[in-house]
Amino acid sequence: MKRLLVLSLVATGLLLSGCGKTEPAAAAASGKKLTIAMLPKSKGNAYFLSAAKGAQKAADALGDTLLFDGPTQTDPAKQNEIVEGWINKGVDVIAVAAEDKDALSTALRKAQGKGIKVVSFDADVLPDARTFFVNQATPQGIGYALMDEAARLCDSEGEFAIITASLTAANQNEWKKNIDERLKTYPKMTLVDFRPCDDDKSKAQAEATTLMSAHPNLKLIMAICSPGVPGAAEAVKQAGKTGKVKVIGLGLPNENKAYVHGGVTDSVILWNTEELGALAIQAADALARGTLKPGDKTFKAGDKTYDIVGDNIMLGKPFIFNKDNIDQFDF
Amino acid sequence: MNRYFRELSVAAALAVVLAALAVFAPAFYQPQPLLTLITGQVAPTLVVACGMTLVIVCREIDISVGSSFAICGVCGGLLLSHGVAVAVALPAAIVLGAIMGAFNGALIAGLGLPSIVVTLATMVTWREALRWLRQGVYVNIGGAQWFGLDQAAGQWTMIVVALAILLPLAWATKHLAAGRFVYAVGTDAEAARLAGIRPRLVTFLTFVLIGAFTGLAAMMAAVQSPQVDPTAGTGLELRTIAAVVVGGVSISGGRGNLWGVLAGLLLLSSINPALTYLGVSAYWEKAIQGAIILLAVVADGLRSRKQKH
Repeated sequence: MKRLLVLSLVATGLLLSGCGKTEPAAAAASGKKLTIAMLPKSKGNAYFLSAAKGAQKAADALGDTLLFDGPTQTDPAKQNEIVEGWINKGVDVIAVAAEDKDALSTALRKAQGKGIKVVSFDADVLPDARTFFVNQATPQGIGYALMDEAARLCDSEGEFAIITASLTAANQNEWKKNIDERLKTYPKMTLVDFRPCDDDKSKAQAEATTLMSAHPNLKLIMAICSPGVPGAAEAVKQAGKTGKVKVIGLGLPNENKAYVHGGVTDSVILWNTEELGALAIQAADALARGTLKPGDKTFKAGDKTYDIVGDNIMLGKPFIFNKDNIDQFDF
Repeated sequence: MNRYFRELSVAAALAVVLAALAVFAPAFYQPQPLLTLITGQVAPTLVVACGMTLVIVCREIDISVGSSFAICGVCGGLLLSHGVAVAVALPAAIVLGAIMGAFNGALIAGLGLPSIVVTLATMVTWREALRWLRQGVYVNIGGAQWFGLDQAAGQWTMIVVALAILLPLAWATKHLAAGRFVYAVGTDAEAARLAGIRPRLVTFLTFVLIGAFTGLAAMMAAVQSPQVDPTAGTGLELRTIAAVVVGGVSISGGRGNLWGVLAGLLLLSSINPALTYLGVSAYWEKAIQGAIILLAVVADGLRSRKQKH
C-alpha cells in the first residue's frame, strides 16, 4: 500500500510538472530523460504491484521517470481514460497490459498517431496498436519447465498425475501438449491420469485425494491451473502424505506459501514478475530512444540479452518459486 | 406400482456402483480418502440440496445458490481471519445467507416474479460483485481450519452437521403441517390457498431456508482448507438441482422426498471417483452424469403423462 502511495505521489508530481513540456518526437533523441507511462490491468492487484517494483528499479537505473497508473479494479473503460490522459500530457512511451485488447487498441493507435511509442506486456493488444509485446511465457517454456521440474523431483522415475482446469481449456491443453512432448525424454516416468478440476479448489482437492488412493505408487501431482496447486496440496496434507507425494504446479506465490513452507508443495512455477516489469520499461526506453527497432532479433537490457521472436520480446524460461525464494514475492 | 419406485431405483443404481467399486477397486473403501471425499464433496452439497428440495417441491427453483455460497464463505472467512470466534462467524454467515434468500423470496413471492429469472439475476449480480471486490484473492483463515478442531474431529463434525439438517427436515416434511404445506403449495397453490394455507408466505420461507442452509454449507466448505476460495460454489446450483431431480423430486413440484435426494447426490458424487479408480478417462464423467439426469427427467415426464391419462 505504501509503495502504491509513493508511486501515485511521484506520478502526480510528474504529471503537474510535465504539463506542456513534452515534445514526443523530440524525445527520441537519446540522452534525454524520458517519461514512461505504465498501465497495469489493475493497480490494486499484487501481481502488477510486483511488476511495478521491477519497473521502478529499471526506470531509476535508466534515469527515466515512471508513471504507474491503472484502474483500481480491472475496468477496460478506465484503462482507455488513463491512456487518453497520458496522450494529453504528452508522455514519451506507454507500456500496457490490456484488460480488453480491442477497446484499448483504439486509444493506443491514437497515441501512436501523436508520436508516442507503445509496447505491451503481460496481456497483448492488437499487433498494430503497439511495436513490441513483452511476452512473459510460451506454452513450450511452461510445459517443459513443469515436466523438467517434475522429473527432477522424482529422479526421472515413477508415476505422476496431472490436474487441469477443464478438458476444453485452450491454454491448459496447449501446455499439456508440451508436457507430453517433454515427457518423451523421460522414459521411466509415467503419466497415470489427467483429471479436470473445473478451476475449483475444492474439486481439485477431491481429485487429488482420489488419485493418491487409486494410484498408491503416485510420486507427484502436477497442477496446471492455479486453484489446482493449493487444492492438491491440501489433499496431500489431509491424507498425511506430505513428502511422499510431491506437489508442483503453475500458480501464484501467495496462494501457495503456507504449503511450500510446510514442505507439501515443492515448486510453484510462473514467471518472474519483477523482471517482466523491468523488461517492459527497458524495452519501452530503448524503443523511444531508437536503439530497439522492429526487425531486431535480440534485445540487450542491463547485463541480459533477450530473444525477439517476430515482434515478441521473450522474457525467457519460467521462474521457479520454492521455499528459498518465495517470501521475496508478494502477489 | 410402489409409490417409492423412483427412490428405490436410484438407491439400486447407487448400490450397483458401490458394488462394482467393491469388486474392481476395493481401494475406494479405504477410510481416509472416503472420509475426505464425503466431508469435502457430499456434506456441504447435501445441506444445500436439502434447501433445494423444498424450493423445487414448492414448484420454484433457485439458481443463485452457488453465488451466495461464495459470498457467505468469503464473508465468514473474513470474520475468522480477523480473529472473530467461530461462534459468531458461523451464525453471521447463516444470517447473511438467509438475508440473500429472503431477497430472492421477496421478489418471487411478494411480486410474483418467476424464480428462474430472479435467481438468474441474483446469481450473476452476486458473483460479479464478489469478483469485483476480491479480484479472486483467497481469504486466509489459517488456524480456524476445521473450526479450530483437529482434522478427524472436524471431518466428523461436518458429517454430523449435514445429518442434523437432513434427518429433522426429512421427518418434518412428512409429519409436520408446515412441511406438508410446501407440498400442498407445490401441487396446487390455489387449492392450498382455499384450504387456508398462505402460499406466498410458504414460498418466501422456503427461500429464506435455502439461503440459511447455503450460508451454513459455505462455512462447512470454507473451513476445510486454510484458504477460502472466492470462486467456490461455481456450478453448485447444477450439482444440487441434478441431485434433487435424480433423487425423484418432480421438477413440476409437489412430489419427492429427501431420502431420494440423498441417494441421488451419493450416486452423482460417486461417479467421478469411480471413474478414477476404474481407470476410465475423465472425458466420460460429464457424459455419464448427463445421461443419469436425462434418464431421471424422462422418468419424471413419463410419470406425469401417466397421471394425466
